[in-house]
Amino acid sequence: MTASRGISLQLQTVGKRYWKLEEQAILLKSIIPLWRPTRTELWALRDLDLTIAQGETVGIMGRNGAGKSTMLRLLAGVTQPTTGRVFIGGRVAPLLSVGVGFHPEMSGRENVYVNGMLLGLTRRQIDARFDQIVAFAELESFIDTPVKFYSSGMFMRLGFAVAIHSDPEVLLVDEVLAVGDVAFQLKCFQRMRDIQAQGTTIVFVSHSTHAIRLLCPRTVIISGGTMAFDGDTPEAINHHFEILSREQGERSGESGSAAVEVSDRELVGPDGPTYHLPYDEPVTYRARIHFRERVVRPQAQFQVYSHTGVFVYGRRTMAGLSGTFEAGDTVEVEIPFQQRLGGDTYRLVLNVLDQTDDPLYTDGEGLVVYVAARPGSAGLVDLQADIVVDGQPVNEDVDLMLGPGKLRAAEYDS
Amino acid sequence: MTALAERPAAAPSRETYSIGPEPRTRREWLLDQWAHREVLVMLARKQFHVRYKRALFGVLWAVAVPGIQAGILAAVFSHFVHTHQGYSYPAYVVAAVFGWSYYSQTLGTGSTAIVDGSSLADKLWFPRSVLVISECLAALPGLCISLVLLLILLPIFGVGYAPHTLFLIPAVLLLVAFCTSLTLCLSALHVYFRDVKYMIQASLLVLFYLTPVAYPQRRLGGLGPWMDFNPLTGVANMFHLAAVGRPDLWATNLPRSVAVTGGVTIVLALVALEAHRRRDRLFVDLL
Repeated sequence: MTASRGISLQLQTVGKRYWKLEEQAILLKSIIPLWRPTRTELWALRDLDLTIAQGETVGIMGRNGAGKSTMLRLLAGVTQPTTGRVFIGGRVAPLLSVGVGFHPEMSGRENVYVNGMLLGLTRRQIDARFDQIVAFAELESFIDTPVKFYSSGMFMRLGFAVAIHSDPEVLLVDEVLAVGDVAFQLKCFQRMRDIQAQGTTIVFVSHSTHAIRLLCPRTVIISGGTMAFDGDTPEAINHHFEILSREQGERSGESGSAAVEVSDRELVGPDGPTYHLPYDEPVTYRARIHFRERVVRPQAQFQVYSHTGVFVYGRRTMAGLSGTFEAGDTVEVEIPFQQRLGGDTYRLVLNVLDQTDDPLYTDGEGLVVYVAARPGSAGLVDLQADIVVDGQPVNEDVDLMLGPGKLRAAEYDS
Repeated sequence: MTALAERPAAAPSRETYSIGPEPRTRREWLLDQWAHREVLVMLARKQFHVRYKRALFGVLWAVAVPGIQAGILAAVFSHFVHTHQGYSYPAYVVAAVFGWSYYSQTLGTGSTAIVDGSSLADKLWFPRSVLVISECLAALPGLCISLVLLLILLPIFGVGYAPHTLFLIPAVLLLVAFCTSLTLCLSALHVYFRDVKYMIQASLLVLFYLTPVAYPQRRLGGLGPWMDFNPLTGVANMFHLAAVGRPDLWATNLPRSVAVTGGVTIVLALVALEAHRRRDRLFVDLL
């Protein structure tokens, strides 16, 4: 099969089936007919089409278990598809984890050679790059120490340094930018940008919308083993959060006396309905309350919880909604507020209480929304603090930072 | 960023290929093996270094363990079995035990190599056979050192160097070829059935006594000739031959036993080739 010019990676209606064994295969059982271990099939990917041109940088997002890892395995040539074809046009450096093949008993120097050769370099090529690799990892004085004495940061730095110097035509990166301290992250990021400018194809899997936004013009969303979206990154990110919210919503179990029901929850930002909030923007929570019975002066209670269940903010009516509502009535509730949450996943909940504060309707999961942290800030709320030294605000190139916001974002669906 | 500048902007793709659901051809598989020869040697070297790195006496243990085993066997068997009839019994035992220890080591580490290497196999592509063959290579330096020791011991055991000593070379080649083919087959099977590991452990215990390693085949009377159909007999006999010569004193039919080993080795190698070329990229799904 000949490569069409300019295509770096291609999946053609690729499917990957795994067998899920009910129990471990045992030789004796598989020899005796009618006593075979039962197995169920599980399609990790199905009918996936994707073409990545040479020099493109593409982000991949999706929940855990959506098929991202399987896709990376296929692109790395580690496994073969059950249906369809995978086309790989060039030497691939899979950076699926840092420091593959590192052995704790061997020195940093020996591990650089082992790791480098596993990534497809020859001994001579490693000789030529050795000093650069060590300098990049900032490990000059530790390079002959067994890596078991390295801190986890040093270990990661060395692993990343080898991979990033292996000079591939295609670089597959799986959530490994979060290595070392912020200064080293910045350095890795700069290096990725250099490689990108050099015309290397990069496939970047991350849970961090911040990192994806900074690196990838195009993003693919994988959901349930199929392509849910392929296009511009800002649109893709919103789509990603919409999928997350929908799935969360399906799991939420509302409860109450069934006299009242809340529906059509949405959050409206400056550009319309959204699940993903920028910081310090005016937004409006909107929902409908349906009455199935006659209710006198009900109370509305709006609450914000962090994804760990911490109560962050609440606002409620004191005297109740004016008037009496008959069965079949519907009202629309709008709650505008200034978005000053920190970077995290939040649940926006709207409960309905009766005159005596007994719940008529308790919102289950509520509406799940995501907030990107302001780079350099963290926590449940954004106090919009500044750091001023001798009267001068510290001005950082925040667009390059992958700081705490990135790490926090990675926790979303793990 | 000088390293980046070195590469021409539009470097031609060296490795362009496509992967479909079908198994690879034999040619593709063999070419892939060849392309990964540097990785193979590097992994073997790593295994060898790591194995003895923290031991004070290092690689000496590779010799000491089979040496002690051979010493005990030689002492026990020569005492109870009265085998010394025209050849040096200690030399006879020591040579074959050194060969046996290579067999038991490669079988133990090689047949589980694909499963044990899952952290590598899951992240990077290389033919999985590389993991297995590298184990067989990593055990070679130990074998070589013990054979040097054997050559030193021969005069002490009262056996001089003779033309038959040169049979050590084909003996080693036959041993390595047999062990490599066998572990390649078993490693593929082990991915599917983890019982293989324990079966091997059990079989090593039994086979040691079903193979004329520590006693001469001829002493078994009518049972002796049947042992020629045990593929390990041919290997053991080659080592005996190199050490003491005179196969008429201890073997029932030396050429036949060696031919059986050779034949079995070829069959195993073909089975291994088929198993690996068909399943190479699917092993990882079961790890």
